[in-house]
Amino acid sequence: MQERLKSAVNLATAASDVAPSRSALGRRTLALFSAVTANRGARVGLLLVLTLVIAAVFAPWIAPYGPSQMGAGMSLTPPSADHWFGTDEFGRDMFSRVVHGARLTIQVGLIAVGISLTVGTLTGLVAGYAGGWTERILMRLVDVVFSFTETLIALAAVAVLGPSLTNAMVAVGIAAIPFYARVAYSVTLVERNRAYFDAAYVAGAGHFRLVFIHLLPNILPPLIVVATLGVSSAVLAAAGLSFLGLGAQPPSPEWGAMLSAARDYFTQAPWIMIYPGLAIMVTVLAFNLLGDGIREALDPRQKARQ
Amino acid sequence: MTDTILQTAPGKTSDTAEIVLSVQNLSTEFHSKKGIVRAVDGMSFDLRKREILAIVGESGSGKSVTSLSIMGLLPHPAGRIADGRVLFEGRDLGQLSDRDMRKIRGTGLAMIFQEPLTSLNPVLPIGRQMTEGIMQHLGLGLAEARERAIEMMRSVSIPAPEARLKDFPHQYSGGMLQRIMIAIAMSCDPRILIADEPTTALDVTIQAQILDLMRTLRDRTGASIVLITHDMGVVAELADRVIVMYCGRKVEEGLVEKVFHRPRHPYTLGLLGSLPILGQAGAVGDTELTEIPGVVPSLDALPPGCRFSERCGFATDRCRAEDPPFEEAAPGHFTACWHSDQLERAAR
Amino acid sequence: MARFLVHRLFAAVLTIFVTTIAVSMLIHLVPGDPVQIMYAQSQGTTPEELDAVRERLGLDRPLVEQYISYLGRTLRGDLGVTIRGEQPVLELLLARLPNTLILAASALFIASIIGLSFGFVAAYKRGTWLDTTLMTTAILGVSMPHFWLGLILLFYFAVQLGWFPVAGSGFPNLVLPAMTLGLTNAAIIARLTRSSMIDIFDQDFVRTAHAKGLPKAVVLYRHALRAGLVPIVTMMGLQFTYMMGGAIVVENVFGWNGVGRMAIQAIFQRDYPLIQGFILMFAIVVVLVSIMMDVVYVLLDPRIRH
Repeated sequence: MQERLKSAVNLATAASDVAPSRSALGRRTLALFSAVTANRGARVGLLLVLTLVIAAVFAPWIAPYGPSQMGAGMSLTPPSADHWFGTDEFGRDMFSRVVHGARLTIQVGLIAVGISLTVGTLTGLVAGYAGGWTERILMRLVDVVFSFTETLIALAAVAVLGPSLTNAMVAVGIAAIPFYARVAYSVTLVERNRAYFDAAYVAGAGHFRLVFIHLLPNILPPLIVVATLGVSSAVLAAAGLSFLGLGAQPPSPEWGAMLSAARDYFTQAPWIMIYPGLAIMVTVLAFNLLGDGIREALDPRQKARQ
Repeated sequence: MTDTILQTAPGKTSDTAEIVLSVQNLSTEFHSKKGIVRAVDGMSFDLRKREILAIVGESGSGKSVTSLSIMGLLPHPAGRIADGRVLFEGRDLGQLSDRDMRKIRGTGLAMIFQEPLTSLNPVLPIGRQMTEGIMQHLGLGLAEARERAIEMMRSVSIPAPEARLKDFPHQYSGGMLQRIMIAIAMSCDPRILIADEPTTALDVTIQAQILDLMRTLRDRTGASIVLITHDMGVVAELADRVIVMYCGRKVEEGLVEKVFHRPRHPYTLGLLGSLPILGQAGAVGDTELTEIPGVVPSLDALPPGCRFSERCGFATDRCRAEDPPFEEAAPGHFTACWHSDQLERAAR
Repeated sequence: MARFLVHRLFAAVLTIFVTTIAVSMLIHLVPGDPVQIMYAQSQGTTPEELDAVRERLGLDRPLVEQYISYLGRTLRGDLGVTIRGEQPVLELLLARLPNTLILAASALFIASIIGLSFGFVAAYKRGTWLDTTLMTTAILGVSMPHFWLGLILLFYFAVQLGWFPVAGSGFPNLVLPAMTLGLTNAAIIARLTRSSMIDIFDQDFVRTAHAKGLPKAVVLYRHALRAGLVPIVTMMGLQFTYMMGGAIVVENVFGWNGVGRMAIQAIFQRDYPLIQGFILMFAIVVVLVSIMMDVVYVLLDPRIRH
């Protein structure tokens, strides 16, 4: 986490160094894209993410059976030409379930990261802009919450909200808010000291204008980059909650929940445990590789090291 | 200042003194994603006993890489010696095992660096950093090594050395730290001290003290010094002989008084031009403080012909087409310039 | 140094203080009537009994008053009693806490040994096939969900090979959960160690040590590793916190009888006093560990000490 935070901040400041003007946004995105794809790991990551998205979008066409269709085959049959990933105790086709699970995973990633990104950015932005006591109190609070692990915060949130997949997404989203708040705060401090901000301030722009028209668009690109990295931990955390029974409930084809259900039979039929776990790992790996690639492309220190 | 420049340095070596270090046709390459660049290209020189030889040039001229190549401290695995050899007291350092090379470092060749604060370990006390080399090379026990360290600290004028052994680098000032660096380097009586920009990071007043200290140590121990610098003032202050490097090659070489009196390469002239002249520094109007126009070309985009031609006020078509050879222009004074004879008129 | 430690101590007290506020208010964040939710699972609770519980928990009094009385009880070591069975929360937690600490500590031990050595070797052999292999393994490890690795180890070593018992809380039972938690975190430590050591190897003082003619081993251990330890040890403290979080999940995979397993059961049973007690206890452990790490940090880094 410390590593993630440090590099995210490095990355964020580096990203805003690339080109601070908004007009260059398109060029900057393009330059970033080509820099990222120059990295082998990042190319693999990007390819895996694309595969995941395709699986999610076209799940009903790709999967030969419905995700909850019982008796698609015999109960607990090993992987075969008919059932690539085998079947579970209800004779459901594991391949179809895993493919449909991709939809839930994407949903988890988007919603959880969406929550932490929005709230975290606002918190960090306000703290960095306002300064003084607002800054001190907000960031001290963020530090306090940050010192618990995301697991504990997510557990507390689920304890309050009650177990369900939606609540698990919200819980995971809440748990990561301090992380994004810290990143947003550091980037805001950097941006505040740039010439364009002083110019806008001297020109008499109001608080709202300074924060939302001048600062926000400039701190957003690095934050979005950081959010790509955040998807991997969000997916991991949400799958963990579902595994504990605090997230998605059976018969949902959510991968963590599938693993949880597999615990009763996996000694006889290990494939019902292998494939959902592999799916989680590949997804997390994809975003980690992509994130590492982006970080290396943007962090001048990392580049110099190679 | 002009007078001191021309004055012969004390303890000057004779041409017949024993050669302790001989660099022969040294070429050092760096590998990067973009390809291979040759940072040092066919460098040769001899260093005699008690001699202070300055290697001078702008950053990127290859002077630091030369010193790291001699020490065998090139960054691994990017840098590597591609050609040539380095003879220390007749032994080819490239042929030595890693173990034997480590024995020579510290006792034969010692080195000090530009940034004393980052060049010392922040989490080890100074005493430890002084004694470890002494114990390693001189085979002394801790108590004796401590005595030796204190003696060395005294010789570089550190006040109350006993009390300061347990202090950490951040508790010293920059000038004191460079003294410590010198004390560490000299602690095992090396034959040669390589000083890479030893005064660049220091205040001007401290600079003079450090240079003075180095000269005193040379006189006392008889060690030779290779002084790497970009500052002609430092060269004038300390060195006996000077080599001017540009883009990985020697462009001029000779005794300091000769080179300063009559530079035979436009680049040297430029470096001397950027030397502020004492007593005139305030009068901006009539100082001859001139900058060399342009920047050092990138090593992977060198111009054809003479490497300095793009920035040279004397350059002709010949310079831009043909690389001048490094030749003796006057007895003991070498240069690589097609127009070295014409420079006399331009010289101040 | 004193200022640094006082500052950190103040931060620790603040963290605990904020936690007590959050924990005491937790129950009010629950959507709906918490008392009814708590007892929804047990049939035949009369409205009078529910009122008695409300009275006991003091939920009908003003918030400030509730907090003050909560704080008073907590300071006296009274964390209330569980909803089911009415056992003292503190006693239950303290009985299980050692198990969790043992698990987290053994995992940290495994993770440090593997992570430090892999990261150190990768940094030293930077750019070679060994570095690539180690770091590929590490990113796979970082992407591996705890619970999945746990199931795989359980399947292979306990079920297939029969080397370890499947569940229980003796020493042989400790091996697999500690490995599960240790291996995934070893990957994180390896990555951090590598980047931290690469920074160190590039430092001027390492070059100086070589220039002195010291043997390679002395340069690597006395100079490089000694200086690299400062950031690495700091991060170990954080790692312990993550291990505590990870233990919650892993305890559930292996049936390890620690506080994590108890907490998940408490969430299922909506046993709020127990959940509150768990969160507070977790916060205290986190804070104690971070204070310990601050002290170690001060001991290791002379720049802070003076």
